[in-house]
Amino acid sequence: MGEAIVITSGKGGVGKTTTSANLGTALALQGKKICLVDTDIGLRNLDVVLGLENRIIYDLVDVVEGRCKVHQALVKDKRVDDKLFLLPAAQTTDKNAVTPEQMKSLINELKSDFDYVLIDCPAGIEQGYRNAVAGADRAIVVTTPEISAVRDADRIIGLLEQEEIEAPKLIINRVRHHLMASGDTMDITEVTTHLSIDLLGIIIDSEEVISSSNKGEPIVMDPNNKASLGYRNIARRILGESVPLMSIEPEAKGMFAKFKSLFTK
Amino acid sequence: MKKQLVHIKGTKDGLILRLDDQCAYAELLEELAQKASEGGIEGKLDVQLHLGTRYCTSAQKKELIQIVQQQGNLIVSKVQSDVLTIEESNQRVLQKKCDTYVGIVRSGQVLRATGDIIVLGDVNPNGRIEAGGNIYVLGKLKGVAHAGVEGNEDAVITASHFEPTHVLIADRVEAMSNEQQAVKENMDQLCAYINESGTISYDRIQKVKEIRPSFTTFKGGS
Repeated sequence: MGEAIVITSGKGGVGKTTTSANLGTALALQGKKICLVDTDIGLRNLDVVLGLENRIIYDLVDVVEGRCKVHQALVKDKRVDDKLFLLPAAQTTDKNAVTPEQMKSLINELKSDFDYVLIDCPAGIEQGYRNAVAGADRAIVVTTPEISAVRDADRIIGLLEQEEIEAPKLIINRVRHHLMASGDTMDITEVTTHLSIDLLGIIIDSEEVISSSNKGEPIVMDPNNKASLGYRNIARRILGESVPLMSIEPEAKGMFAKFKSLFTK
Repeated sequence: MKKQLVHIKGTKDGLILRLDDQCAYAELLEELAQKASEGGIEGKLDVQLHLGTRYCTSAQKKELIQIVQQQGNLIVSKVQSDVLTIEESNQRVLQKKCDTYVGIVRSGQVLRATGDIIVLGDVNPNGRIEAGGNIYVLGKLKGVAHAGVEGNEDAVITASHFEPTHVLIADRVEAMSNEQQAVKENMDQLCAYINESGTISYDRIQKVKEIRPSFTTFKGGS
């Protein structure tokens, strides 16, 4: 029996879908069987980020309404051999097409076939959020170091604490060292003390994340990127490994560092 | 001789009318009206009504006051009774009660208490606490706190770290954007209260002893 993890944030645009796609891929690369569920009915884009858009035949609403079997709707990602599947959201209807009870039984069904079911939650705290949370065993809250995102994360954590799931864990996305150092955004400790939940990991801001999502290829496929490393570390932590938090400071580019790299390579 | 139903006692502050608590209410009204109209009193006089163990509704109390005051020179300052309904008594217990909340009051959450409330944790921005009595936050107060919701102007708000967005006591509201000097200089261990001039002031928690001397309920401790 697998585990269902909902990835949520409250605020839109902080990187829920990117995080879902990358964590799913990273866990699949670790050899786990993963199912990603997009619950953003009407505004789906997890399929686009994964580059699986034109392979969708059935969707989540088709499954819930009995027009097809679950396995017919699952889209396989061929890049990670037989380990990563996507259950896409419907695009032609809205969040009210599904009830939390239906979602719960759907997720339970998926949990028996997969090691992890990652549920990508839509922004907001309405029906879509309730659907996404209904079947989850654990929750991951994604935020950026901006005050507005942290406020909404706080609200979502308050709501999650009322659900019968494990205490949520935090991912701080789009961490920019120079803004934190100058005090223009909240730093890691400020965010974690404010929200007072466990930190699961941080993702360093990287432009390649944007270009890779546009290409439909999750950034974790690139082993040399800092953001990719962040996602891989988080995946290992989800699997129970203890991985130290990565440094947010950019690599030194001084004369000495260049010399050193000459000899180490 | 008929038993006297209204005993009048003079003190240096005024008169105390002790009303019989066993007779019929109508008889009492009659005798009270008669006594009040006898006159012979010059100038204004303060009067207290003691009802004994008779239970009077607020309408009845009003009626009694009206009868005594109809001459114009007697002013009722207080109506005292030895009885309390269960409802009133429960209400008092609730108002005196001190609830404890352990955890963080997060954005969008509202905590309501009839009496005092102690929060072991933080109150985050957009989190709100409403209490009939006082609010004590053993953590960071960064949200909204409303003490004395039912109109208790003696209520205070204290916090280990005092950085609320809004402070409300009874019907007074203060948005903390125009922060007061005391708050700006030291945000630790502050208390908000309504001062003599009727506005919200801030001081160190240690000063509560002087601001509200009657707050201590603890006896002994020598």
